[in-house]
Amino acid sequence: MKKIGAIIIEDEKPARDLIKKFMEDREELELLGEYDNGFSGLKATHELEPDVLFLDVQMPKLNGFELIELLDCAPEIIFTTAYDQYAIKAFEQNAVDYLLKPFSKERFNEGVDRLLVRLEQGSGKKTTEKIRKHLSDSEELLNRVVIKKSGKIHVVAVSDIQYLEAQDDYVMIYTQQGRFLKQQTMKYYEKHLDSDQFIRVHRSFIVNVQVIERIEPYEKTNYILLLADGNKVPVSRSGMQVLKDKLDF
Amino acid sequence: MSHPITSRRRSLVIYILVWFLIFAINAAIIYFLQGFAVKIAIADSFISNFVFAVVGLLAWYPTRYIPYQQSSPVYSIMAHIVAGLLVILVWLTVTVGLLTTLHYGNDLYKDFLNRTLFWRGVVGSLFYLVLVLVFYLVVYAKNLKERAQAEERLKTLVRESELNVLKSQINPHFLFNSLNSISSLTMSSPDEAHKMIIRLSDLLRYSLKNRENEFVTLEEEIGRMQDYLAIEKIRFGEKLRYNLSVPQSCKKIELPTMILQPLIENAIKHGVYESVDPVDIEFNCVMHTDFLELSIVNDYDPDQPPSRGTGLGLQNVTQRILLAYEGKGHVDAKGENGKYNVRIFIPVKKAKKP
Repeated sequence: MKKIGAIIIEDEKPARDLIKKFMEDREELELLGEYDNGFSGLKATHELEPDVLFLDVQMPKLNGFELIELLDCAPEIIFTTAYDQYAIKAFEQNAVDYLLKPFSKERFNEGVDRLLVRLEQGSGKKTTEKIRKHLSDSEELLNRVVIKKSGKIHVVAVSDIQYLEAQDDYVMIYTQQGRFLKQQTMKYYEKHLDSDQFIRVHRSFIVNVQVIERIEPYEKTNYILLLADGNKVPVSRSGMQVLKDKLDF
Repeated sequence: MSHPITSRRRSLVIYILVWFLIFAINAAIIYFLQGFAVKIAIADSFISNFVFAVVGLLAWYPTRYIPYQQSSPVYSIMAHIVAGLLVILVWLTVTVGLLTTLHYGNDLYKDFLNRTLFWRGVVGSLFYLVLVLVFYLVVYAKNLKERAQAEERLKTLVRESELNVLKSQINPHFLFNSLNSISSLTMSSPDEAHKMIIRLSDLLRYSLKNRENEFVTLEEEIGRMQDYLAIEKIRFGEKLRYNLSVPQSCKKIELPTMILQPLIENAIKHGVYESVDPVDIEFNCVMHTDFLELSIVNDYDPDQPPSRGTGLGLQNVTQRILLAYEGKGHVDAKGENGKYNVRIFIPVKKAKKP
């Protein structure tokens, strides 16, 4: 029988040791590797293609959710976390499993049993999609954005974003460090960026108000924004109204 | 502050009614005691009193803009005498002028007007005095109310910060993760697990003291922070390095309990949690002539955007230091060259317990 390949991504050694210890008694599972941060965990997941990730949420470099955002494959996920009320509680127990630290051996085995059922159904893709959907439905504001660009991963602070431009199914994010293409919707960013700082000035543009240098009339009824770095962004009529309300002029 | 009489309908009505009463009495006196015709009595009383009712409203402004407590009383009194004389002068000129023109061919009345000029001035001054007193009462009452409100606000603020202090106790995230580590250690190294439980218990017991806002010696506070870091060390291993040294001269200094805990927690959160390389946390204490400087320095990656952070811990410590030392202590934080440095300055003379 082919074993189930597992990877542990968790920054605390005692926590990794515990999972390993519990895994010893489950012969169906085979440990492919253990990693103490999101970057190396993501890389290993792409290389080793495990069936399941035991994934901590809070980790250096990339947290568990950001890792899932960047995954190219779709392994099953079992979250292990201590206390993450807003991130975890909305998951349905059966859709995505999570082990609340500290957890018992019984609880661990229960999680593995459920995992076997899910693997049988081949629901890995559904799991990652569910997590992604849950994250985009949440009300939480972003502090940073993770982006993959030519094989490298960039973590961009939201305050470094100058503006965003819609490009078909993608959004181009313009930052001080260059521009990054991300598969995401404008609506998502409109919702997850602080609306006092980021304003949707146009159907295709969201601008960080801090980089606006000037607002100039353009043609007869339109306006255009001049940004600190010299770029120009068009403003729609309704966008102008929002700008007026937010910036109070 | 708007005019207390004209800006409120109710006070305006009362004001007018009072003047009607004065008008009626005055008219009666002129009619019955001086024996002038009804027409004259009514005209004299009506004009004198209602002109005063209008001009007298002006007395509000000197009252409002010459606050009694803030300037010297002599200055206030002088200012009111000048303002009062002006009001009376305007009033007398208008009323006597009007009444002389209107004297209905009665020379006796004209004579009466001239004779009573001085007394009219005296009565006007009395009216003015009463109005000023009323206005001062209004200002006083208003100030009293404002002060009570300000005190209430301050009390709420203090209460809120006290609540925050309670909230800033041991973070549940830390607690559950530590318990998870202990659960792991019970299998791999029971001795270590035992030590960790003792440390965690000491730390928890100590954190409960926070509720009473007690003062403790720096030595004790640092002892508990050693426990805290020892627990974190088991979780993070080589990634966390720390050195909390307290010079002999600082050991007995007293400070609010758990004042360093949020800062150490921050150092771990922004240093260790976000890093894959070893992070150093260092505590220092320097005694200056009349104040003490405590500092916590940790490595951090300034290029790494924070995954989540609210700055509540630092805000809390700042507020507590301000309250505990009645504004004589302060906190300062800055990050440069990959080191984050938080410094607490407190006066050396032991502060009063809050």
